[in-house]
Amino acid sequence: MSTEIQKVRNRRIHWALPALCLLSGIGYLIAFSIGGNLQLGLEAFGVMVVFAVGLLVFGGRSETIRGLGGADRDERFAMLDLRATAYTALVLIVAILGGFMYEVAKGHSGSPYLWLGVLTGVTYLTCIAVLRFRG
Amino acid sequence: MRNNVRELRSARGLSQGQLGEALRVSRQTINAIETERYTPSLPLALAFARFFGTSVEDMFHVDGDSEGA
Repeated sequence: MSTEIQKVRNRRIHWALPALCLLSGIGYLIAFSIGGNLQLGLEAFGVMVVFAVGLLVFGGRSETIRGLGGADRDERFAMLDLRATAYTALVLIVAILGGFMYEVAKGHSGSPYLWLGVLTGVTYLTCIAVLRFRG
Repeated sequence: MRNNVRELRSARGLSQGQLGEALRVSRQTINAIETERYTPSLPLALAFARFFGTSVEDMFHVDGDSEGA
């Protein structure tokens, strides 16, 4: 990939995550408004705006923020991202199992933790099966 | 994994940023490799060797390998 194309790509990526944050903020605002809680919606929108501005302001200086946005992401940051995702998934799995056991102990069906657990397990097994064939 | 990236880079008068730009990785990645906190992938190790006109075996050494290969 030429340097010029890489620069254009990085510029697009530089704006992509802040734009996604703003869109999420608008989504939260609409969802809270529909739910009759405009105040919370405005607060959530404000948090996402601050996050987006932070990404734009500090994205040029910090490798971490640039990497989170996807720009200038090299193999080391890709590996960091993969490991961070794995750790996050482990925490989520523990939380789902804990939530499921808590709900069952209270005499409930375990939902929605049961279905989240099923989705997690099926996703993991599917990924293993597919990734095996891709080497 | 031990390596002599820092020595080779210094001998050419390159900064970590300049080397990173040449190999399309970040300055922080060059620093992590030099300080042995990160082991590069085989393609990146080959890119290092080609850039410095040497071999991967001469640049990167497995810990405890007295032969350096």
